[in-house]
Amino acid sequence: MWALNDYKTVFIAAELIGVLVCCIPSVMVFVRLPPGETFSELYVLGSEHMMEDYPSNVTSGVDYLVYVGVVNHLGNAAYYEVLVKFRNETDPLPNSTSMTPSALSPLYTYRVFLDDNGTSEVPLTFSFSSTSFSGGQSTVGSLTINGVQSLVDKSSSWDAVNSGYYYQLFVELWVYGPASDGFTYNNRFVSLWLKLA
Amino acid sequence: MGGGAGLRFWVNVFAVCLLSVCVLCFVRGAFAVTFQEASDQVAAADQALRVAFNSVLDAEQSGANVSVLLPRLNEAGVALSGAEMALKAGNYSDAVSGALACKSLASGVSDDAVVLKNGAVAAWGYWWVTVLLSVAASVVFAGAVFLVWRWFRRGYVKKMLGSRPEVTG
Repeated sequence: MWALNDYKTVFIAAELIGVLVCCIPSVMVFVRLPPGETFSELYVLGSEHMMEDYPSNVTSGVDYLVYVGVVNHLGNAAYYEVLVKFRNETDPLPNSTSMTPSALSPLYTYRVFLDDNGTSEVPLTFSFSSTSFSGGQSTVGSLTINGVQSLVDKSSSWDAVNSGYYYQLFVELWVYGPASDGFTYNNRFVSLWLKLA
Repeated sequence: MGGGAGLRFWVNVFAVCLLSVCVLCFVRGAFAVTFQEASDQVAAADQALRVAFNSVLDAEQSGANVSVLLPRLNEAGVALSGAEMALKAGNYSDAVSGALACKSLASGVSDDAVVLKNGAVAAWGYWWVTVLLSVAASVVFAGAVFLVWRWFRRGYVKKMLGSRPEVTG
């Protein structure tokens, strides 16, 4: 059996804990906890919402489906712009070191608003048309993304190492900053290598 | 008589044709949208959407729960993206209608964000209620624990005094 002083200690501890718990709402009124690490996620999933079944061998006139996901961990609501671009092997990609986007014009753009820890997954259906092959070179005449057709007229040379004509569809994430009243590149991009057949 | 009726018939036909041409020209003039007009509307919608988002952010920083506003902002964003695509494709009337839809939605969101912000600021004005309730709860809890302690101590002492030494072995 415990001594009376041991029980006294237990009661005092219980009392202190209880008082602290009762004070938490008041403390929360005045104290704002600093947000943790703030960042945004950008990812691409296959047609089954999985990290597989990505389109890789593509032909003219066929629809391909992927999902583009954005997750907000900025600690507050965020306004994103997602830019879809298309390049051949010589066109510039975004530069992760200098944190600059690709100089190519977007073929398709959409906006998404997310609250903190919110996620968005948007389907991206794309298809090629007016493709041609001649003299060790292929050309893509137009690319349709989510029903919006763009004339791209982009050529790619035969890649002897990987045996094919390769193009890249890539997605850049931009975020709106109220201070600058403009969008800045978030240094996030995902891409799909597409072998045209 | 017969020649007069024939002439009147052809005059009427000519008048109807002339009227039709005038109406077509008038309608075309009234509803045709130029690139500049469409472009201005899209730019205005873009600005309205930024203002709406800034209002939402402002409300959130005041402590308001803005989750209900974000789906409407997304709807406005879809309308604006559609308007931009239509503008790019040369479909100016669709661009204008998309931009107007975006502006209307964004304006509604801005108004509601201000209401939410005012509600959050007013709720912040009652911070002393929270503090008072916390203090009251702390005092009640401390008093209750103290009473339980006294009751327990009395029972403990009584039990100790009531027990007799026992020789074992």
